[in-house]
Amino acid sequence: MSASTIALNGLIGVPFLFAVAAALLGRRTSDRLAIAVAVTGAFATFGWSVWVAVLSRDGLSGSGVDTAWIASLDIRWHLGVDGISAPLVLMTTLVFVCALVSLLRHAPADVDGGPNRRVSLAALLLVIEAGVLGSFLALDMVLFFVFFEVALIPMWFVINSWGDVSDVVARRRAATRFLLFTVLGSALMLVGFLLVRSVTGTFDIVEIASTTYASSGVTPVLASVLIGLGLAVKTPLWPLHIWLPDAHAKAPTVGSVVLAAVLLKLGTYGFIRFWLPVTDPAWELVVPVVAALAVVGIIYAALACLAQTDLKRLIAYSSVGHMGFVILGVATFTLGGVQAAVFASVAHGLITGLLFFVAGAIKDRYGTTDLAKLRVLYGRLPRLAGVFAFAAIASLGLPGLAGFWGEMLSIRAAVDQSAALPESTFVVLAVIAAFGVILTSAYFLAVMRSMLQGSGGHANIEQYPSVEPHPGGGPHLTETPVEAADVHALEWVAWSPLIALTLVFGVAPGLLLSPVSDAVSSFLAGM
Amino acid sequence: MGGAVQSIDWWAVAPTLTLAITAIVVLLVDAFLGPPRTRARALVPATLTVLGIVAAAVAAVSLRGETRSTFCVESTVCSYVVDPFTLVFWAIVLFGTAVVALLGTAAIGDGATPQGEWNFLLLCSATGAMAIAASRDLITLVVSLEVVSLPAFALVGLHRGDAKSAEAAVKFFLVSVISTAVMLMGVSLVYGVTGSVFLDQIDTALASGASPVRVAVAGTLLTIVGLAFKVAAVPFHMWVPDTYVGAPVAIAAYLSVVSKAAGFVGLMLVLTFGLQSFVDVWAPLMAVLAALTMTIGNVLALWQQHAVRLLAWSSVAQAGYILVPFGAAASAPSALGASLGYLTIYAFVNLGAFAVAAVVGTRYPRQRLSDYRGLIREKPGAGWALAFALVALAGLPPGIVGLFAKVVVFDAAAGTVTWLAVVMAINVVIGLVYYARWLMELFRPSDVEAGSTYDVPIGVGVAIGMTFTAGILFSVFPGLLLDPVLAILR
Repeated sequence: MSASTIALNGLIGVPFLFAVAAALLGRRTSDRLAIAVAVTGAFATFGWSVWVAVLSRDGLSGSGVDTAWIASLDIRWHLGVDGISAPLVLMTTLVFVCALVSLLRHAPADVDGGPNRRVSLAALLLVIEAGVLGSFLALDMVLFFVFFEVALIPMWFVINSWGDVSDVVARRRAATRFLLFTVLGSALMLVGFLLVRSVTGTFDIVEIASTTYASSGVTPVLASVLIGLGLAVKTPLWPLHIWLPDAHAKAPTVGSVVLAAVLLKLGTYGFIRFWLPVTDPAWELVVPVVAALAVVGIIYAALACLAQTDLKRLIAYSSVGHMGFVILGVATFTLGGVQAAVFASVAHGLITGLLFFVAGAIKDRYGTTDLAKLRVLYGRLPRLAGVFAFAAIASLGLPGLAGFWGEMLSIRAAVDQSAALPESTFVVLAVIAAFGVILTSAYFLAVMRSMLQGSGGHANIEQYPSVEPHPGGGPHLTETPVEAADVHALEWVAWSPLIALTLVFGVAPGLLLSPVSDAVSSFLAGM
Repeated sequence: MGGAVQSIDWWAVAPTLTLAITAIVVLLVDAFLGPPRTRARALVPATLTVLGIVAAAVAAVSLRGETRSTFCVESTVCSYVVDPFTLVFWAIVLFGTAVVALLGTAAIGDGATPQGEWNFLLLCSATGAMAIAASRDLITLVVSLEVVSLPAFALVGLHRGDAKSAEAAVKFFLVSVISTAVMLMGVSLVYGVTGSVFLDQIDTALASGASPVRVAVAGTLLTIVGLAFKVAAVPFHMWVPDTYVGAPVAIAAYLSVVSKAAGFVGLMLVLTFGLQSFVDVWAPLMAVLAALTMTIGNVLALWQQHAVRLLAWSSVAQAGYILVPFGAAASAPSALGASLGYLTIYAFVNLGAFAVAAVVGTRYPRQRLSDYRGLIREKPGAGWALAFALVALAGLPPGIVGLFAKVVVFDAAAGTVTWLAVVMAINVVIGLVYYARWLMELFRPSDVEAGSTYDVPIGVGVAIGMTFTAGILFSVFPGLLLDPVLAILR
């Protein structure tokens, strides 16, 4: 076995094995040991992913794993990593480290609960991680589909069992809706993959991408539409986003973080890796429609955000907008567009992950994320409020922070799109998208104003009696019963990597952009 | 023939014959031993049954890789052929019957089921299922199908003092008799046009333009209708839910796997070996049947609160998935390999679900879905096995074997009947709703204090273990199962 074989298989195997170990230990011994094993697993996976990222410099050709899995169906166990997947792999493993570290402090309350439920949650998260990493590494279309589905049932359990305690019925509905939408999407995507195979004779996306895919006839178009539909549900692309706000809002904090930061990226990554090679920009309807839906999503999400009364739902809707920029970038069929898409995906993972962490922290302390009830956090929890302000400003795309580059480059790519596309359409779309950036600033600033600012001090507590700290408070609230604690040390540990990388990529975007550019030009024949 | 005594290839007949002989042995041993006085003694018939099945399996394994024919007429046309296609069905039948025999031991406790007769009838029915897979002429096929069905009526009703069970048996009997009559009508029309009952000769005659074509088409349609009753395709499915619920759980499992497999063998043999030249007639019809079957099965399953009734509707829906490749057969003759693959996987996954339902039935005979609460915590072995079976039936990881069953069927349909593939994709989602609802119950804590407990007879434990092991093994190495099965019809 070569080093790359061990590295690639191991990246999927390590989180899975640690998940099994943690689950088994959780049965027999103490909670504490099992959770420690799970956190170790997350760190081990992160370390492993660094090794894999180093290997990614070789690109897809030559290295990698490629053996027959089901010979009769021509499905191969084909894994590989390049500059497109490596940033997403690293971002994923990092976010999971943060999520599991945050579990060390306390678990989300669980109404169905018994002992050791926190361990089950940690183990499920590691299984999700294994599935996501498998999807990022898979180069066989059916293998991608299989890994895509691996994360589903565990995520459904996470929302269903650990979600919002106050409304059990709503969280079950949210969980089931998430499951059904995604499965419908992925089933259609599978049909699309099989249609592609009937045209090209292979499931190997590297081989498909290396030849220019200019097919006529109905089947290739239908295949591209079905694959696009499936990925559009996951990404999500307006109007298929309707599962998302509920799922994100009702999930436990770590669930929301993982959903937003990582699972949505399966959709965007799928668009880059599996939709671009099977789509011909010359088809008159497909690509402009996708780009237009992305832009509608940007505007729609921004307007929806202005109307939200719940912080978690607001962050969830803002994700729809950010994903719109990603898909707009992809749909330009340019090197710059794909660079923007990968960059915006990673940046969104870091920033929105952080936003959901902070929203979860607020919910832990006050028992609500209702924007009407939250006031003057600058005065009460200055550090927490500061982190939120930082993440919000990064999310609205302030130059110098990571959120800026992806959206700027995506708009630029739309103005300067591939020759086969209708130029005027894309310029109009770029202008509308730029308008969406302004709206995004508007709602984030409005939230910061209403939630963080105001005259501080204890006087306000009488004025807003509903902001009493969460009754009972749970075992984690050891501070005074009146004032909730500010950012806890473990929270700093969990959040600081996200904060730091948001800064780093904001200042030095080239770290991410140049490997992507090399990988894209060697992966896609036409670019 | 020439009046001479036929030479019979006894090796080819051995597996079928072994089951028939075991059936008689079981009946005689039971008669001589008399009514069982201890629980261990009551296990004797089931033990003998499983031993007989193992012996038949050994004989069947020795036949692998070769094609043997016997009961031949002109040394070219044979009534009984053992080839890889036959062997796959034999594997399903033998595995399924063994699991059902083990599940039957759950009924020992209540003393209302005579074990000797029960196992005798089971083996008789399984003998028919073995014979139909090897049959290559219409007479053998119809007779074998009846050998499968007749003991099954008795098995459904063989629960002393249970009126529902008797009602289920009568309903099943009436529907089955009608379907046989319809099918015989169809068979006789086909025979009238082609002048032969051998599938090969029918194929040749139809391909070379036997007339009148309309009569042959009518015969084809009637034959399909008859077999559609057996596989419970919509609109010939009405008997399924009541029969499954009225029957003992083990027999419901038998009907949903072995008996259904026999119906599918019949369909495949008649349609592909005999009526291949009419593929343009029956393929669109089968496509519509498939779409109706899976949609109605899934939609009606949504409202079920009774676990076995839910499994009954789910098995209707699953039959719809198995029918999909028939609809694609017009442009790709090898598509039926996908049906074969799906049926094989469905067999052990569905048996796994029924096996756990049999365990839960020992504590909660009413089989409400809410009775499954807390199963994971109280009986982890059974709970995880059921959880696995449900996700595999839904076609999601970790039940990867179920996922590949769906991939195989999608693969057959995509590109040839793409609309059917899209209908199936939507159906997968509908199916997920009720599988997920049931799955959730398993992980919720039970609301009743543990007054009674589950009774897991050793046989049922083994049955769950067999199906669960098969599921895990083929999820990790799906190629082990799919590669040989899909190679058969290539």
